[in-house]
Amino acid sequence: MGKTVFIKDTALGTKDRTRDIYGVFLGILREKGLENEVQLVRVVDIGIYGQGVVVRVLPENFLYANVEEADIAGIVEQSVIGGKPFPGKQIPGDSKQMRIVLRNCGVIDPESIEDYIAHDGYRALAKVLTDGSPEKVIQEMKASGLRGRGGAGFPTGLKWEFTRKSPGEQKYIICNGDEGDPGAYMDRSVLEGDPHAVIEGMLIGGYAIGASKGYFYIRAEYPLAIERIERAIKQCYESGLLGKGILGSAFNFDLEIRLGAGAFVCGEETALIASIEGKRGYPSPRPPFPSVKGLWGKPTCINNVETLANIPVILLKGSAWFSGIGTETSKGTKVFAVTGKVKNSGLVEVPMGTAIEDIVYGICGGALAGKNVKAIQTGGPSGGVIPKEFFQTKVDYESLQKMGSIMGSGGMIVMDEDDCMADIAKFYLGFCVDESCGKCAPCRIGGTQMLKILTRVTDGVGTQKDLEQLEQISFAMQKASLCGLGQTAPNPVLSTLRFYRAEYDAHVNKKKCPACKCAKLVRFLIMSEKCVKCGMCFKACPVNAISGNRESGYLIDQTKCIRCGQCFEACKPRAISRS
Amino acid sequence: MKKLSKEDLQGARSKVPVQEKNWIKVGLSSCGIAAGALEVFDTLCETARKHNADVEIKRCGCVGICSAEPLVEVQVKNMPRVFYGKVDKDTAIKIIEKHVGAKMLLNDRIFDMKISA
Repeated sequence: MGKTVFIKDTALGTKDRTRDIYGVFLGILREKGLENEVQLVRVVDIGIYGQGVVVRVLPENFLYANVEEADIAGIVEQSVIGGKPFPGKQIPGDSKQMRIVLRNCGVIDPESIEDYIAHDGYRALAKVLTDGSPEKVIQEMKASGLRGRGGAGFPTGLKWEFTRKSPGEQKYIICNGDEGDPGAYMDRSVLEGDPHAVIEGMLIGGYAIGASKGYFYIRAEYPLAIERIERAIKQCYESGLLGKGILGSAFNFDLEIRLGAGAFVCGEETALIASIEGKRGYPSPRPPFPSVKGLWGKPTCINNVETLANIPVILLKGSAWFSGIGTETSKGTKVFAVTGKVKNSGLVEVPMGTAIEDIVYGICGGALAGKNVKAIQTGGPSGGVIPKEFFQTKVDYESLQKMGSIMGSGGMIVMDEDDCMADIAKFYLGFCVDESCGKCAPCRIGGTQMLKILTRVTDGVGTQKDLEQLEQISFAMQKASLCGLGQTAPNPVLSTLRFYRAEYDAHVNKKKCPACKCAKLVRFLIMSEKCVKCGMCFKACPVNAISGNRESGYLIDQTKCIRCGQCFEACKPRAISRS
Repeated sequence: MKKLSKEDLQGARSKVPVQEKNWIKVGLSSCGIAAGALEVFDTLCETARKHNADVEIKRCGCVGICSAEPLVEVQVKNMPRVFYGKVDKDTAIKIIEKHVGAKMLLNDRIFDMKISA
């Protein structure tokens, strides 16, 4: 393979020097007559952030950071010509990511069963059907330490064992694909990118618990995921991986798809079962647990998409391999959907126990240009915020819980200094109020009352008593709500109150929003001494609240202004004040 | 399709090593399609046919770098495997003509992310 050199300036807030360094590099290569042998490439992103000019030399994969012009001759001499590392500036070039669940996403053609089989697909199933009794499979799963990836983190092997031991001829396994947390979409990605892995996981689960029928419960908002799962199921029936006597064994298994009609609460086990039965998606009190009395009164096991996608690999590579990854209590990897005000949003799969800072800064590149990260929010509307002071926290079920948040399904929303914590809490609570089914009073009434209080706070008419009341209602909801939705709905409020009490106090006492986000508490003014009369704010204003012209300057009409902040963002000389 | 047996699954691994083939993969999950990956896919196929390029164009799921969609992964023999991000029609044509045809990597288009160890 020919030599290739990648160059990218990763420094933040300074002029991009990629082209300058590229020029120097090219000059040195020309001097040595190598410009045709070595490919010198400017790249958009090199996977390293905030470390000056980064140079990668391929095929050896030497990575150098903070490269200055003086280093280039040395890099060319040592690495490009000599094939040896250039001492001093070298940094490790390996990735912090580890792909188990996403192993085939972006690798195989999701519409081709042959491609999946060519990547070890259905080999775990064949292995299990050949030499594994169901008890052995359950033993292996328990040994692996895999915990449910849907949020609560219940050990999967134990769940399977309970369902297997429940008396009854007919049993069911359900794949929970009703992914509803705002900002989380890893399940969709797995269903769309590797549908057969989930089907294989369900087949193995069905075999282990003694079920002959499985259901996919996928939300109707995922049309492509549904289409690909449908196609995959059809391919399985055609090739004898579903139906009667699978792979020549005595195991029979059928799969069907059920669509969720867009209710968040239907991701909760008991509501999901009601929804599949054709009833209204109401949760019911547990016990009896679904593993005893589930779908149509029969023992039922419900697993999340990501959990199921883990299973084929665990059984193929063994529980010892899997339990070697991660922390003491949380094994394996976790996929996070990193979204919000972050440079590279997307899916990240890391071993459990990776520090939050490694995910947010190391892999995703930190905040957008010119801003600072303030906190992250994990676990969706049931989770909480983690301020950047605590970013050395390791992600696993227990550590996140200790921080007042939860693992949840793996949404990770990054917030910067422009985000107001009271506003964030209001957003999540509003989501839960919308999605509350209304069956139990604590969730229905408590949520609405809390939302009213939070609206008062962000409008600048709240009092200290309101904040106390927020806490009281929160505790009542946590204790008395029927299902997980109501019990966890106050979490974003409690967690923001815990870490950002000062921000709430500023809203109530000083009637100010420190992040300048809450519309009723912020005012935009043009400072005439700084204004260059360019008219950008005039153009940016969506409601024509800015009047004036390029001679006389501009003025904001406070009665028309909707405090959207567009003019503030548009003003280059920062002549608009926000207070 | 014929019914599979256990033996079919054991010996199913591809015989030809991946590095020996030329291929292009286009991420066609929701995120890619929303960013315009279908058009990129069609353009790649069309241009490859026009130049009779020695490359197989395949679809795949989302590799996870959603902010850089449409994402195109290119493997050409004796060249590093790379991701092109935010690919539009023009870049798609250049990928076939320059990268696959002339064996030259494109400047200012590559997202060099290590997604796994």
